[in-house]
Amino acid sequence: MTKKTKSISVIAAVVAATTLAACGGSSSGGSTGSSGSASGGSANNASASKGGTLYYTSNKPRQTWDPQRTYTGEGISLEGRLFSRSLVQFPVTSDLKASSTPIPDLATNTGTKSNGAKTWSFTLKDGVKWQDGSPITCADVKYGTSRTFATDVITGGPNYILSYLNIPTDKKTGLPVYNGPYKKAGQSYFDKAVTCSGKTITYHFNKAWPDFNLYLAALRAGDPYKQSQDKGNNSNYTVFSDGPYKLQGTWTKGQGGTFVRNPEWSSKTDNIRKALPDKIVFQEGVTPEIGVQQMISDSGTAANTVTTNAIPPASFSQITGAVAKRTINPQSPFTEYLVPNMLRLKNPKVREALAIALDKNAYIQAGGGSKMYAPAYTVTAPGILGFKKNATFSGLPDSGDPAKAKALLKSAGVKMPYPINLTYPGGTPTSDKQFGAIAAAWGQAGFKVTLNGLTDTYYNVVQKAGSTWDVCWGSWGADWPAMSTVIPPLFDSRPNLTPTTTGQDYGSYKSAAVNKLIDKAAAQTDVNAAAKIYDQIDAILGQDYAYIPLAIDKFYRINGSNITGYVNNPAEAMYPDLGGIGVKH
Amino acid sequence: MTTQNTTLNADRPTGNSAGPLLQVNDLHVHFPTDDGLVKSVDGVTFDVEAGKTLGIVGESGSGKSVTSQAIMGLHRGSSAVTSGQVLLDGEDLMEASESRLRKLRGKDVAMIFQDPLSAMHPYYTVGNQIIEAYRVHHPDAKKHEAREKTIDMLSRVGIPNPKVRVDSYPHQFSGGMRQRAMVAMALMNDPKLLIADEPTTALDVTVQAQILELMVDLQKEFHSAIIIITHDLGVVADIADDIMVMYGGRAVEQGDVIDTFGQPQHPYTWGLLNSMPRLDQARQDRLDPIPGNPPSLINLPPGCAFSPRCTYRDRVPGDRCRTEEPELFAMGHLQHARCFLTEADRIEIRGGSDQDPSAGQEAQA
Amino acid sequence: MFAYIIRRVFSGIIMLLLVSLVTFILFFASPVNPARLSCGKICSPALIEQNSKALGYDKPMIVQWGQFVKGIVAGREFPEDASLRKSAPETIATCPAPCLGYSPLNAETVSSELGPRIPVSASLALAAFVLWMVFGISFGIIAALRRGKFLDKLLVSAALVAYAFPTFFIGLFIYQFIALKWGLFPVPVYTPLTQDPLLWLQGLVLPAITLALVYLAGYVRLTRAFMLESMGEDYLRTAKAKGLAPRKILFKHTLRAALTPIVTQAGLDLGLLLGGAIITEQVFNYPGVGKLAVQAATTYDLPTNVGIVILIASFVVVANIIVDVLYGLIDPRVTLA
Repeated sequence: MTKKTKSISVIAAVVAATTLAACGGSSSGGSTGSSGSASGGSANNASASKGGTLYYTSNKPRQTWDPQRTYTGEGISLEGRLFSRSLVQFPVTSDLKASSTPIPDLATNTGTKSNGAKTWSFTLKDGVKWQDGSPITCADVKYGTSRTFATDVITGGPNYILSYLNIPTDKKTGLPVYNGPYKKAGQSYFDKAVTCSGKTITYHFNKAWPDFNLYLAALRAGDPYKQSQDKGNNSNYTVFSDGPYKLQGTWTKGQGGTFVRNPEWSSKTDNIRKALPDKIVFQEGVTPEIGVQQMISDSGTAANTVTTNAIPPASFSQITGAVAKRTINPQSPFTEYLVPNMLRLKNPKVREALAIALDKNAYIQAGGGSKMYAPAYTVTAPGILGFKKNATFSGLPDSGDPAKAKALLKSAGVKMPYPINLTYPGGTPTSDKQFGAIAAAWGQAGFKVTLNGLTDTYYNVVQKAGSTWDVCWGSWGADWPAMSTVIPPLFDSRPNLTPTTTGQDYGSYKSAAVNKLIDKAAAQTDVNAAAKIYDQIDAILGQDYAYIPLAIDKFYRINGSNITGYVNNPAEAMYPDLGGIGVKH
Repeated sequence: MTTQNTTLNADRPTGNSAGPLLQVNDLHVHFPTDDGLVKSVDGVTFDVEAGKTLGIVGESGSGKSVTSQAIMGLHRGSSAVTSGQVLLDGEDLMEASESRLRKLRGKDVAMIFQDPLSAMHPYYTVGNQIIEAYRVHHPDAKKHEAREKTIDMLSRVGIPNPKVRVDSYPHQFSGGMRQRAMVAMALMNDPKLLIADEPTTALDVTVQAQILELMVDLQKEFHSAIIIITHDLGVVADIADDIMVMYGGRAVEQGDVIDTFGQPQHPYTWGLLNSMPRLDQARQDRLDPIPGNPPSLINLPPGCAFSPRCTYRDRVPGDRCRTEEPELFAMGHLQHARCFLTEADRIEIRGGSDQDPSAGQEAQA
Repeated sequence: MFAYIIRRVFSGIIMLLLVSLVTFILFFASPVNPARLSCGKICSPALIEQNSKALGYDKPMIVQWGQFVKGIVAGREFPEDASLRKSAPETIATCPAPCLGYSPLNAETVSSELGPRIPVSASLALAAFVLWMVFGISFGIIAALRRGKFLDKLLVSAALVAYAFPTFFIGLFIYQFIALKWGLFPVPVYTPLTQDPLLWLQGLVLPAITLALVYLAGYVRLTRAFMLESMGEDYLRTAKAKGLAPRKILFKHTLRAALTPIVTQAGLDLGLLLGGAIITEQVFNYPGVGKLAVQAATTYDLPTNVGIVILIASFVVVANIIVDVLYGLIDPRVTLA
């Protein structure tokens, strides 16, 4: 239930991280910029057989099939595997390191960077085609990127490219003078920033972007788009495929649609997607209560089904024996953490005492146990390049140490019991129980906790500048497996804090040292070097208790018995990786 | 139970078709309720002859309406427990099947109710409801025949412009017109017996007189027997041949109208007469309402049911009124009354009252 | 009567305008900035402002409301941007009258979101309506005729039990056991009537039963109460005294009086329900207006919310007018003026 509430509040505010794209990655860093060893997925696995119909069930309706508008991990994964190929993409694998290493898709290699990572170029493979048989051209790739600039038409998608491409900005608004392919104002600037030469596309940035190819692989915003098919907002559910599947008929929001093979696609140009099923049927609006029950019974089409519905705790008792073998329980890319309000909890010892007394185990137990959560020791997820447990938090016991925290609070010389307003997305018995468990442990440590469970507009309330909460709850998933999509969005005070809102820097954390290091990391031409600097920043954040890690969300789902080739791929945000899944038939 | 009525029933022939049109013998209607058994009618016996009118008089709750409905078997299917005999032309209606009763209802025995607005269905036209009353007993009659007969009947009961009014709804009629329509409905099938339950109570005085006149005229024409139920002695005096005064579910006085009004025998009847406004006296000092309230039909007072309200009970020696129930004693010519007072007492009391009760007969003439 | 209808329609329109204005005011009172929602995860204030302008949210509320009303009457275009219209007309979403707005979140006009959903909700509402009217009224009649007897108590308490269970419980039970576990009935899936009337009906049965159960108890009790009231009326005694057969008395006299007031209730219930049965549609995954309302509410899709409110309000207003006119026709005592 907590998950449900949270996810509801989360959709509410796209600001929140939870529904957004995220990718895991290897902890040791991957090679970028070189023409990588494309070994991740073998396209022609002999053990998997082609054919059959795969069913994909989910509850919430898909908001879009437009690559440039897509910003959910699931949408990014589905589009990338079904019909929207990228210059580079991540392979079908469950290996942490391999899954965060891009391999060539439409491009012949993983990109060539030059000019201090300010210039990147890619060359398209021969023989790659759209579903109408026309070849994918450099202009198509360029056109796809241009769409992100039409922020008034193509809404809701990732807009990182706006601040990187070397296009002058309007002095008044600070936005690029180019406003997309529809109005074409400033088109000449864009044409200079992204150039085509035959099959080679070159991007010119105004600053170093060492992880640009991670951006391309992890999101769909850089995918090609055929201009003749573009009707802006009116093509929200239009699917014009260059991948192994194309949409049969039309997509019906809330019900779904059917993908069938795209005869113009050839496995010869694609060593990522196995494209095993002949047909993939999407069914939306299948509730967890009913959908999972069907999956457990495994009757009819359920045997050929993968689902994004989580197994509800009420059904846990049915998960035994053969049924249990069909379940998967990977860690999601989303980390939950607590944020102290730096403007109210100014005494660092108070924040430290909160961290020491935090009972993660009780929180996890109240939330459904180890199937639902794993304890977290930093704000980044394990799959991210340069992931390291934060030294400040890794030594603390998972069940907290209220006695030690109490002693610390006493030594801080503050009045006890110390009042704490703990604000969280509430409204369900489970979430109230979870935060009640946290409050209980803090109570033993000398805090007097007021629980403030908000419903509906959680983030809108929490983000208000000058809020009166002392500790709030947050959740974040990285957009691509690099800390540049975690630390700066959450802790760089400069873009976040305005007179009216805290942005994602909910606790109004403001550190000159951190901001300086963020600039330094951004200037790096090598992602590994940048990762090292982000680790330094995370250390400072820990020492300042700018956040307190809580738990990593886990997915708990079940597959039909005929499903083959299922992998928990961090690059696909742990959603079913349709690049490798087949059905026995 | 039988003994108390012996005076009246002694020589009554039963089941004889040569007798009066309607003979009611020892009728009981009891309603079991959560509070106890309500004895609404508790042993009532009377006759009505063809072409004659019986007036049943009493306060609310005396059992007069229940009596009339029991005659038509309208209590069937409810919780009422009935016993006794209701002989119509010698046929015992209490024993008759429901389908037989249905054939009689509205045909041989018709009824007029107190409030003609609530007694007519608000959603159907007056004509529709009258036609229905006709066609149920004349299933072969054609629709337009029934309609013409209805218009004719409406015209005979004095509805102006009946061809138009036949299609009016009850709420579009005035109170008097509605009651005329009810009379028309009742007379559609030439009933042998017409039961009119407070037919004029809801109407104003001038309209009352018109309706009564109408009933008398029609009775002459159709030669029907009429039972008119009322609390208004003036009405009875106007049109009845016989009278039965009811109290607490029983008849306390029965007799010929002239005798009963001329020489009422029961203190309750005296009370009723005294509580009636009179037009023949220039100005009355005051009306004498009967003191006290009607008795509970679940727990009737012991002895004479009227004794708690009776001013003269102490004239009867030995507290007899409160211990022993009086029978319907024969008093004078065809008169019966349920009272222990001696002849001498009654003459003395009547003579001592400040008005002559017999004057009621001409009260509203 | 014609003048009456005209007057009612006119006041209905005024009412709808007021409803839309109030909804707009609430829309603006919401802490959610719709422009923020249309702008990805990490968004600068400048971008939000640009989106706000593109979507027209920067204009004063009363102007936006005026545009909304104009859209209903004459239709609109989204975005209303002359330069975009010139350079890339294919990206403009046209929203013909009656235009209920545009949802940036779904990149669709509210009318086209609602369009395919109205028949779904209407099918469900009508099917449930037929069920609860037929069974609710028959049970109510039987209960009244057997007043105080075992059958009366059984029917009334059974209806109450059904009423006491939450809809989602009944729905889930029916779905889970009858359709899934025991397979007594095919899993309900909505099929348009025009596509296959038989499948349409088959898919409707279980959701309609679920929905009808909600209303059944009320109608059993209502019918029973009106029946008892009607059975105590003097005119029924008159009917009996006429010598009418019990069947004729029941159907012509008792029912006519007892059912007339039910028309009001039934009309209003149906009118409201045409705007979507939220829980039932949710449980059975019926793609109707109710399900859309839940989606719109949980995703802060305010334009869609406004559109749904207007839609439901107009159903209710129209149902009110129809019920009142109908009442004038069936009850001769009521005159429409």
